Amino acid sequence: MGKVRKVRSAGCDLNMTPMIDVVFQLIIFFVVTMKMTDNVYEDIVLEDGRHGAIVKEMPPQTLIIEVGRRLPFAGGYRISINNAVVSESMLRDILVRRVNKYRNTNFPVLIRADNRVPHREVRRVMSVCTEAGVWKLSFMAIFDHTGKKKGG
Amino acid sequence: MKVRRKRRITNDQPQLEMTPMIDVVFQLLIFFIVTIKQEDIYSMLSASAPAADPNSSPTVQPNVLNIEINKTGFILRGAPVSKALLERRLASIAETDKTVSVVLRCTGDSPHKYLVQTLDICHKLQLTNLAIFSM
Repeated sequence: MGKVRKVRSAGCDLNMTPMIDVVFQLIIFFVVTMKMTDNVYEDIVLEDGRHGAIVKEMPPQTLIIEVGRRLPFAGGYRISINNAVVSESMLRDILVRRVNKYRNTNFPVLIRADNRVPHREVRRVMSVCTEAGVWKLSFMAIFDHTGKKKGG
Repeated sequence: MKVRRKRRITNDQPQLEMTPMIDVVFQLLIFFIVTIKQEDIYSMLSASAPAADPNSSPTVQPNVLNIEINKTGFILRGAPVSKALLERRLASIAETDKTVSVVLRCTGDSPHKYLVQTLDICHKLQLTNLAIFSM
């Protein structure tokens, strides 16, 4: 006796629930880990420094001063804080205000300078810091390139 | 004539249309995957600035090692040295004395990368008594 093949006319039913679960998990992960754009000067290329202290969570008092190159057509160099260009006098005012606010000069000052910038530009920042009484300075470097492009 | 309307009673559960939701969810997923950017891990190399005035000179101490950084590279004890040689020389100094004060004397035209490289070598060798002097 021959067997009769059962032919199902109904389409294959795909269970969507696990897929939607996974997709929602992924979305929640991305939303939680998403970092909004930082106010930093993106064109600064930092030098490698694998032996310094790793910058994790910086204390809120930390002042990061950026020293970068301007765009080729603009020429020269720029000093900025949170990507906002500041003059030396403005930087001095900011530092003095911080010294007065925290009542000491031990708050962390981090200089984020482009590796191609000549030292005289970094010296301008260092001079302003020392004038304000901040002697302890740190220089930002790259511990590990985990980002897509090499650079800061 | 009065027509009696019969209420239709349906036993079917209300169906939730999944297709637009899945479309939106996939759009969001693609957006996040495309825009995600891995951040580099940063380190900080500490030093102090003993003299901001380029005309002044650092106080002379008995146990001080001067490293000059200029446009072309590093000068140790009057002789130009490569980065590898500087590291070897500093390693031999650090073996005997880690408390030596290292003064990095940078010229104005020296690229910032040389200063960071020297600071990195000093941190590697645990030479923590570092000062930057701008010339």
